[in-house]
Amino acid sequence: MAFSAALRDAAKATAIAFGLFVVMVGLRTDVSPTGALFLRTRWTELAMVCALVFAGRLAIGLWVTPRFLTNAGGSLAAPLAKAGAFFGMGLLVVAVVLPAIPGIGRYELDLAILVLTYVMLGWGLNIVVGLAGLLDLGYVAFYAVGAYSYALLAQYFGLSFWVCLPLAGILAAFWGILLGFPVLRLRGDYLAIVTLAFGEIIRIVLLNWVDLTGGPNGISGIPRPTFFGLPFNMSGDPGTFAGFFGLEPSPTHRVVFLYYLILCLALLTNWVTIRIRRQPIGRAWEALREDEVACRALGINVTNTKLTAFALGAMFGGFAGAFFATRQAFISPESFTFIESAIILAIVVLGGLGSQVGVAVAAIVMIGGFELFRDLDEWRMLVFGAAMVIIMVLRPRGLVGSRTPTVALGQKRSIGSDYVSEGRG
Amino acid sequence: MSTTLVPDILSVEELTMRFGGLLAVDRVSFEVPRGTITALIGPNGAGKTTVFNCITGFYRPTGGAVRLTTHEGREVILNTLKDHNIARAGVARTFQNIRLFAGMTALENLLIAQHGPLHRATGFGIGALLGISGYKAAEAAAIERAAEWLRAIGLIARADDPAGSLPYGDQRRLEIARAMCTGPSLLCLDEPAAGLNPRESDDLARLLLSIRDGTATSAAPTSILLIEHDMGIVMRISDHVVVLDHGKKIAEGPPAAIRQDPHVIAAYLGEAEQE
Amino acid sequence: MAYALQQLINGVSLGMIYGLIAVGYTMVYGIIGMINFAHGDIFMIGAFVALTAMVMLVSGGLMEGPAAILLVLAISMAFTALYGWTVERIAYRPLRGSFRLAPLISAIGMSIVLQNFVQVSQGARVKPLEPQLPGGIELMREGTFVVQLSYMQMLIIASTLAVLAIFTWLVTKTPLGRAMRACEQDRKMASLLGIDTDRTISLTFVIGASLAAVAGTLYLLRYGVIDFYIGFLAGVKAFTAAVLGGIGSLPGAVLGGLLIGLIETFWSAYFSVQYKDVAAFSILAIVLIFMPTGLLGRQEVEKV
Ligand SMILES: Nc1ncnc2c1ncn2[C@@H]1O[C@H](COP(=O)(O)OP(=O)(O)O)[C@@H](O)[C@H]1O
Ligand SMILES: [Mg+2]
Repeated sequence: MAFSAALRDAAKATAIAFGLFVVMVGLRTDVSPTGALFLRTRWTELAMVCALVFAGRLAIGLWVTPRFLTNAGGSLAAPLAKAGAFFGMGLLVVAVVLPAIPGIGRYELDLAILVLTYVMLGWGLNIVVGLAGLLDLGYVAFYAVGAYSYALLAQYFGLSFWVCLPLAGILAAFWGILLGFPVLRLRGDYLAIVTLAFGEIIRIVLLNWVDLTGGPNGISGIPRPTFFGLPFNMSGDPGTFAGFFGLEPSPTHRVVFLYYLILCLALLTNWVTIRIRRQPIGRAWEALREDEVACRALGINVTNTKLTAFALGAMFGGFAGAFFATRQAFISPESFTFIESAIILAIVVLGGLGSQVGVAVAAIVMIGGFELFRDLDEWRMLVFGAAMVIIMVLRPRGLVGSRTPTVALGQKRSIGSDYVSEGRG
Repeated sequence: MSTTLVPDILSVEELTMRFGGLLAVDRVSFEVPRGTITALIGPNGAGKTTVFNCITGFYRPTGGAVRLTTHEGREVILNTLKDHNIARAGVARTFQNIRLFAGMTALENLLIAQHGPLHRATGFGIGALLGISGYKAAEAAAIERAAEWLRAIGLIARADDPAGSLPYGDQRRLEIARAMCTGPSLLCLDEPAAGLNPRESDDLARLLLSIRDGTATSAAPTSILLIEHDMGIVMRISDHVVVLDHGKKIAEGPPAAIRQDPHVIAAYLGEAEQE
Repeated sequence: MAYALQQLINGVSLGMIYGLIAVGYTMVYGIIGMINFAHGDIFMIGAFVALTAMVMLVSGGLMEGPAAILLVLAISMAFTALYGWTVERIAYRPLRGSFRLAPLISAIGMSIVLQNFVQVSQGARVKPLEPQLPGGIELMREGTFVVQLSYMQMLIIASTLAVLAIFTWLVTKTPLGRAMRACEQDRKMASLLGIDTDRTISLTFVIGASLAAVAGTLYLLRYGVIDFYIGFLAGVKAFTAAVLGGIGSLPGAVLGGLLIGLIETFWSAYFSVQYKDVAAFSILAIVLIFMPTGLLGRQEVEKV
């Protein structure tokens, strides 16, 4: 772009920025000790923001044309899709040996557990949104059902984690079917709002049914998982994990165990998804995403097919929830707000609908990145949101937009995103 | 073909479809004799697609009945069934606007058409997940059947290409093959020759005849109900013609008779004048 | 009886605020078919701009009373409209014609940005504003219970009706309205006919944001406390209202807003405050099960 044009452009952007920020940055209302509001002015900050916008816009105008930006996105897609399998293997190897890598301490493992929880949630939601093409804005509800199922079953009936884990999944799936049955015939955005409403309903009920759930105080003292009956503690008794294996008791044992537990759960999700995708039911999900009317003409029971996707996705959400409860030993409705659903959905979409590797990478980037920026304090969420917008604008189909066929006569070739539909349901 | 011994494959009785104030189909009755290609023709807006949608369950008819008598001689009242059950009962269809699964390969499209039996073979998803062996054989058979159809429509070389990337004429034929992979008793085609060039139309005509006679693949002979605008094709391949105009049946008979029918000529001339 | 009448008044005035926000959702949905998730936060921005303007006018001693409120309303509309325009320009326009979920995620990102931007720039604490229009007229008295129509509620009802009247005129009688409806029907065709669709869409966002600003201002004046988080819940409720009324339908949005306001108010009054949102959401779900396109939505018949 010519310099003068870029300059004019930057000036225009600055004028707009001035309009946007003059009230919200230049002025600030604060509560005085008397309780009344008073106004503070911050003209320097305003000037700084405007200068920043001017410089940024000028730089973009001069050096980065929009075409370059989109190409930067495009050139990434092909190698990533091609290297997907190797890349996925590499990631898996790293994940398996992670606790043994020198320099990986307790903090890093905790972070890895968090990331893996989101990877698992992403993969679970991917079944619903990525494969079946159903827009679910209330996925966190199933996560909550799983977490509370475990917490309550353990609290009231003293059931162990290993008994509760499948129960949590089954209960979540049951709720998925209960919700899905009446609403899955709704189209597109109607389904979106109903699932969102469902997520909010679950949260509000958890918040207000104080007798059962402890309300806003949540449930604490949730039993930690045992190593098939051997608890983790520092006593060194022969009945504990460390004592039984003759190890020096260490608090990292439990963290490492939790890490492998979530890794296994996530891999189970992945394994089931990959396998089911190659089966009639998985193919029917994808067909549903492509064209529901054609599915009906081919004798596919659309409602049941949607329900299975919904229930299976919910089940994995439930597993993840039970894991979350045992890991935290404390849960409250605060952990299950809409923003969680939004983040999980963002991971699925940013990763590329239907792509397992893409979702894993997106979870690592988003959750890991979020943690990386923890020094930014209150700015962190701002950066997070901005990153979501920027990534979407640059790569609307996510990191991996292509689709691998489930079966082939010859060699499987990935299908470009231009052909792949994302569903309307 | 003795119609007294073999019941008609499809019989439509007094079919009526009303959209608000519009009577799109008005007490239409006709039969599709077994083993024939029956053409449903008429000017644009005559109600042909609506008849199809009533037969295949996409619309619930306002009145009348649709009866199917399957290969095995079982009689099914279609107008009380849900659309996917109609497909399972043995009625397959294509759409006026092609509805392939564009992001899936040609082969995958044909496998989805065999969803019912395959899904049963997997033990409804659970068996195959655990690796129960029956599914492997069922899938191999399904792939073989799909390959057979791909060969029949000349698309075997493009089996692994996304359906959306195929040329228009190939997509039309793929959609027919997909419908045939459901193993239907009756195949309903909505304007399959629309947008095809003469050579492609010729190929299509031959394909339809071979489907009727059961020579296309190892599949059994299949009766066809065909909506078509291209009179050349209709006259050449159909055994029986039903003519609709303004939602009413105005004529029915063998192609040669229809060509001479004054009502039909008037209906088409009327349309030509409007155009 | 008197109690119910009071609840009716409260419900209608709350419902009008929801209705104003819902119109913004429904307009954007109608024209580009996306859920503008950031719209609730635009409403919140509107409330904040109004707060700042109000403090400036009143504590600066420049103005007071109804005149001040009108001026605040105008200021809030102007600045909030700019936010609406910018959000569309940055987060949605580059994704025009792209896949359906991309703009949705972008919108959620934008919502997070706006919320946290306000949190950073204006602080996380709630902002209380002393009542600007105290008092009201007494409608009825039953024993000790007095049914009151406050001046504030009168203002809400009057200004909502006025704004909606102007708005209706705008979309039915002006060239802009015609262009908007044309884009709604068929964007490609509209642009072939010489309609500047980008501009029309921008203006849709501008109008939607100004309506949200009116709602934000009224909310601020009515409830007197705001924080950076009010946009989420109000947005979800208004979106619920838009869907309840039939998304894409403008009268439907207002009707849905009124219904949600009434359901919430009556449920809180007669059953429990905690579960008022559950009531609203459940009624939405029930209505959708029986009327899959909402109360006034166009019936979708898929032609095959
Ligand atoms: N879903 C529907 N809603 C309202 N009218 C319809 C619908 N489907 C078809 N029609 C009307 O029914 C008439 C017949 O249409 P159609 O069956 O598509 O005609 P054809 O296929 O013979 O050209 C047309 O006037 C059409 O507008
Ligand atoms: Mg037609």
